[in-house]
Amino acid sequence: MFDTLSVPALFAVAMQPRNPRHTMPSAAAPSVAFEELALPLLPSLYNHAFWLTRNHAEAEDLVQETFSKALRAFDSFQLNTNFKAWIFRILRNTFLTSRTGIATSRTVFLEDHPGVLDTTDASPTPEDNLIRLDNQAALHSALEQLQPQLREALLLCDVEEVKYKDIALILDVPIGTVMSRISRARRTLRQLLQPQLGEIQ
Amino acid sequence: MTQAIEHLNPETLNAFIDGELPTSEQEGVQQHLAGCHQCTLRVLSATQLKAATARAGHRFAPPADTLARLTAQLHREPQKTARIHPIRPIAWTALAAALVLAISLIGWRQVHQSNALSAELLDQHLATLSSAATPQVISTDRHTVKPWFQGRLPFSFNLPDSGALPPDATLKGADLAYLSGQPAALLLFTIHKHQVSVFVIQRSGISDNPAFTRMANNRAGFSIHYAATRDLRFIAVSDVNPADLDLLVSAVVKAQSPG
Repeated sequence: MFDTLSVPALFAVAMQPRNPRHTMPSAAAPSVAFEELALPLLPSLYNHAFWLTRNHAEAEDLVQETFSKALRAFDSFQLNTNFKAWIFRILRNTFLTSRTGIATSRTVFLEDHPGVLDTTDASPTPEDNLIRLDNQAALHSALEQLQPQLREALLLCDVEEVKYKDIALILDVPIGTVMSRISRARRTLRQLLQPQLGEIQ
Repeated sequence: MTQAIEHLNPETLNAFIDGELPTSEQEGVQQHLAGCHQCTLRVLSATQLKAATARAGHRFAPPADTLARLTAQLHREPQKTARIHPIRPIAWTALAAALVLAISLIGWRQVHQSNALSAELLDQHLATLSSAATPQVISTDRHTVKPWFQGRLPFSFNLPDSGALPPDATLKGADLAYLSGQPAALLLFTIHKHQVSVFVIQRSGISDNPAFTRMANNRAGFSIHYAATRDLRFIAVSDVNPADLDLLVSAVVKAQSPG
């Protein structure tokens, strides 16, 4: 049937369900295809996968497997909920069951105790202000030195701009833990960026 | 009103800059900030760190072949649709928006990249304006500045003779900088007392970031001008008038082909 279509007609078809074999469930409930939600997130998913795996081949495998799993589970996704949080959660769970993920999870990590660690002393310290951020290389290396669990929470917050409650969903931890990890990640970054100050003075 | 006396604790401060504080608490924080210089500086510094992390974290783009394979995977898989129960217009709006997003993905990435880059340029320029920032080489002599970069940069470039500079333009010094993760020479000039930063980066092979050619010409009131020779790219940032900035960029470019 397609060879009879002109170009504008093809475009019109793109706005309709693409394939006759998945017609709309009912006239009142049109559908949104997985591809159209997933494609815009591809660069973000890949970037995050690379931060988790630190390897191009593994990052590609991870995103590929995430797409497969997400597609199989797409029936359970409710439209009006946050697709980005949903698919990032799948990405993360897929990573945790991969070889690199299992190795990472074996490293001992002092679990978060929100409220105990951070809020004891609120008075500003000099190092709150004095860091140089114009040295990209130093910042890259500081991010690389962060504990993976802290870095993951920070990247979701600052790079992906995911809300705390959705980060909690992705990482499967309470929201207080998310806040504590972000707080510790930033404090650690500051400490790591500190020595530069000595060098330039 | 103990809130107004106590300094912000780290978690409140983080929630504040992440836009996660409830409106009621935001007001308390703003009240405190209005009267507390220390905490205002902390908020400013935390915001800068957040922005710098966002730039540094957005770092690993899929290689072209990976992008092609993953996109193909999405096309190839039999498309499932979400089981949804929303009202019709919302779904159609979502579909239309998703289509537009998908179609403009590449354009968006380019804009995003070049925006991030011009923000980075401006940040670095602003950092040089601070009185605390002393360049690593302070010299008006091109014969001092140029050799300083030897061994620090994987490329070489020429500096114009002071006579070849536009009127009232002076070389002040230089610094080593990084732009999008690649090393750059940062040349500091002044024109009529306006500070000018000129970044020089290599233009070869994979390190030639096409985002450099798509940058906006101005950002936050600063002009950003760029030029290129066969091997190098030059990017100048300043609040001096654009015509003077152009003259300086031309003088620097001209110095690359003596004779």
